Amino acid sequence: MTQTILVDSASQAPRSGDPAGHTLGGAGERALDCLLAAGFRRTEPPILHPAAIFLDMSGEEVRRRLFLTADAAGEELCLRPEYTIPVCRAYLSSDKAGKIAEYSYLGPVFRARAGQVGEQTQTGLESFGRRDAEAADAEVFSLAMEAATAAGGGSLVARLGDAGLFDAMLDSLKIPEPWRRRLRRGVARGRSLEAIFSRPSQSALAQPGVLAALESADHAGAKALVEDLLAIAGIDAVGGRSAGEIADRFLEQASLRSGQPIEAEKRTVLDAFLAISGDPDQAAVELRRLTQSAGLDLGPALDAFERRNGFIAARGVAIEATRFSAAFVRDFDYYTGFVFEAHDPHVSSAKTVLAGGRYDALARRLGANEDIPAVGAAITLDRLMNGGER
Amino acid sequence: MAAHPGNGAEGPFVLAVPSKGRLQEAAQAFFARAGLELVQGRGARDYRGAIAGLPGVEVAYVSSAEIVGQLAAGAAHFGVAGEDLVREKVADVEARLELLSPLGFGHANVVVAAPKAWIDVRTMADLDDVASAYRARRGERMRVATKYVNLTRRYFAEHGIADYRIVESLGATEGAPASGAAELIVDITTTGATLEANALKTLDDGTILRSQATLIASLTAPWGANARQAARDILARIAASEEALKSREVRARLPSPAHVVVETAAERFGAVSATGEDIDPHGFVALHCARGKVAELAGWLLTQGAERVSVAALEQTFAARNALYDALEKRIGAGEH
Repeated sequence: MTQTILVDSASQAPRSGDPAGHTLGGAGERALDCLLAAGFRRTEPPILHPAAIFLDMSGEEVRRRLFLTADAAGEELCLRPEYTIPVCRAYLSSDKAGKIAEYSYLGPVFRARAGQVGEQTQTGLESFGRRDAEAADAEVFSLAMEAATAAGGGSLVARLGDAGLFDAMLDSLKIPEPWRRRLRRGVARGRSLEAIFSRPSQSALAQPGVLAALESADHAGAKALVEDLLAIAGIDAVGGRSAGEIADRFLEQASLRSGQPIEAEKRTVLDAFLAISGDPDQAAVELRRLTQSAGLDLGPALDAFERRNGFIAARGVAIEATRFSAAFVRDFDYYTGFVFEAHDPHVSSAKTVLAGGRYDALARRLGANEDIPAVGAAITLDRLMNGGER
Repeated sequence: MAAHPGNGAEGPFVLAVPSKGRLQEAAQAFFARAGLELVQGRGARDYRGAIAGLPGVEVAYVSSAEIVGQLAAGAAHFGVAGEDLVREKVADVEARLELLSPLGFGHANVVVAAPKAWIDVRTMADLDDVASAYRARRGERMRVATKYVNLTRRYFAEHGIADYRIVESLGATEGAPASGAAELIVDITTTGATLEANALKTLDDGTILRSQATLIASLTAPWGANARQAARDILARIAASEEALKSREVRARLPSPAHVVVETAAERFGAVSATGEDIDPHGFVALHCARGKVAELAGWLLTQGAERVSVAALEQTFAARNALYDALEKRIGAGEH
C-alpha cells in the first residue's frame, strides 16, 4: 500500500500510462509543466487506499461518493477520491517525512456521481515542511492559478478565506468550546448566526434537576455525581464515553443554562466579522478597525493574513481576481489556515475548478507524531474543460 | 416503461415471497386469507410455485434481500419484503417501486440506540453535540455499528450529524458497544428486549423507520396485458379480504320500504347497502358496516322498527372499484386495451 513512485523530472513522468490526461487534449500536461518548472516533483501515489482513512477525515457523507471494494482479508478499500490524502500518506512513508518536500501530480480521481462519469482528472501540488507559511501559501495559490490558466481556464475568480483568523476571532471573544465547534461547522455550511444560535443542541428537558445541582460543582464533584447516578440506576458504564466525559457535558450545559448562550455584544462583533468580504487589503483594514473598536486582539493571525496578502500581490496574481470572505471556512478540522477556491465567473452554475488550503493538522491525523506544515491545491481538469458544468 | 413483449411472448407474472422462516409462513397465511393459495412445487426444496386457480402467475421463493433486488431490477412484478430492507437497499424507491399495502406482520422498528450510561443523551440533538465533542476530544469519530448503512447516513444527515463513522455489522449488532467495536448502534428492534439486555436505549426521536412486511410492486417489471390481469386479480382478492376483515354484514327487516333507513345508516354509521342502490320494497336491508360501529347500528335499527338484527362476519367483499390496482395503474400507466 505504501509503494510510491517518486519521479525526479518531467522527462521521466509516466505520461504514456495516463490515458485520462490525454483525453483532455494535453491540458493536464500544460498545467503540470507549470508545477514541474516551479520545482514540484511529480509523484504518483497508489490508487487503492483503505476507505476508513477518507471516511475518518471527511465523514460518512463521502461514502456515497466512494468507489468501494474489499481486499482478500475483507478490509474495505476505495479508489482515491482525491490526491491530498494519498500524497500526504506517500510523503509520510518516505524518507522525506518531516522534511521539506514539494510534489505535483496528474491523474485520475474517482467519485461516484449519479448519471455521470465516475472518473475525473486532477492535477495539483502539495508542499510539506516549509516554515515560511505565508510565503508557501502564496506560492501554492498563485501556482495553482497559473497552472489552471495554462490548462485553458482563462479567467478564474478566486475566493480566499482564513481559518486562522476565524479561530483567533473566537479565541479573543472567549467563545466557550461547544459553541466554537457549532459556529465553525454552521458557518462552513453557510448558515446564518441566527440559525446557528437558534438550533437546539440538547433535549429541551435536559435533566434540569441535575443541571441545577451542578451549577457550582467542579469536574471531580460532577464526575462523582454521575458515577453515583449510574450506580443507583444499576447501569454499567459501557460504551466509549467515561463518567468524566458525561459529567463534563453536564457542567458545560449547566454553565450555558442561564440566559443567552453568547452575549449580544459578542454576536454583534461576530456578525460584523463574518460580513467582511471583498478586496483582501481592504479586508485587513476593516479587520483592524473592527478589532480596535471592539477592544480585541487577533494577535499573530491578523499579521499573518496581511503578510500573506503581500506575498500574493508580489507574485503578480491579479488582485481583482481575488476576493476575501471572512465567512469562508471549511468543515474539515485539518484545515488550519489559508483556504481558497476558484471558479469561472462566466458560467452561472460553475462548480469550483480549483481548491486548496493549508492543512497542518492532516499529517498527525494520518499517524505522524506532530503537525507538519502543509499547503496544497487541486485542479479538476474536467470541470475546467467543460466550463465548470461537470 | 419496460418494453411490451407482444404476441403472446409475455413471460409469467412473478410474485416473489420469502423462502423461509416466520416471514414465509406469515406471507403464506396472508395470501391464503385472500383466497390465494400458494402451491409450492414438488418438495420443499423447489423454489418455484404457483397460485391455485391463477394460471400465468409464478411464485418465486427467494431470500428477503433477493426479493428487494428482483423488484428493483424488474425481475419480479410483486414481492413481499420488509420496508426496512427496501429503504436500505434501493436508492430511488419512489421511482422504482410502489409500496402497495402494509401486510400487518413482520413489525420491526429501525432505531438509533445509545448506551444507557449516557444519561445526558436523550435526543438526536444531544447526540450531535456529544459526537462533535467526542471528535474534538479524541480526534476520532464516534462509531455507529449497523447493517443499515444508507438509512443511518440519511437519518444522521437529516439531523445535521457529521462527526461519526459507520462500522458495518452483519450480526449481533447490539453487542458492539459492550465489545468496544462501536459507541452506538442503528438496528431493528421489535420489543426492545435485546436493547435492554445490552444496556442500550432508543433515543426519544431515534426511530428511523417503523417497518413491517409490505406488498410491493415493481414499476420497472414488464407490465404486459397478462401481468396487468394477474395484478388486478391478486389485488382484487387482497382488497376483498382486507375489506371483509374490517367490516360486518348487518341484516334486518323493517316494517316499510327502507330507503330512508339506508340513507341515514350511511350518514350516521358509514354503512353501505350490500345490495347497492336497489332497495328491497318489503323492508329487508343488508348493510356492510365497520366492526366498531356494528353495535350502534344494530341498536338504531331496532329503534326504527326492526324485530331482529343479525350480524355476520364476512369472508370477502369484492367491489367494482379496485383501489389497490388503481394506485398501481397510476404508476405503470393504463397499458394497451
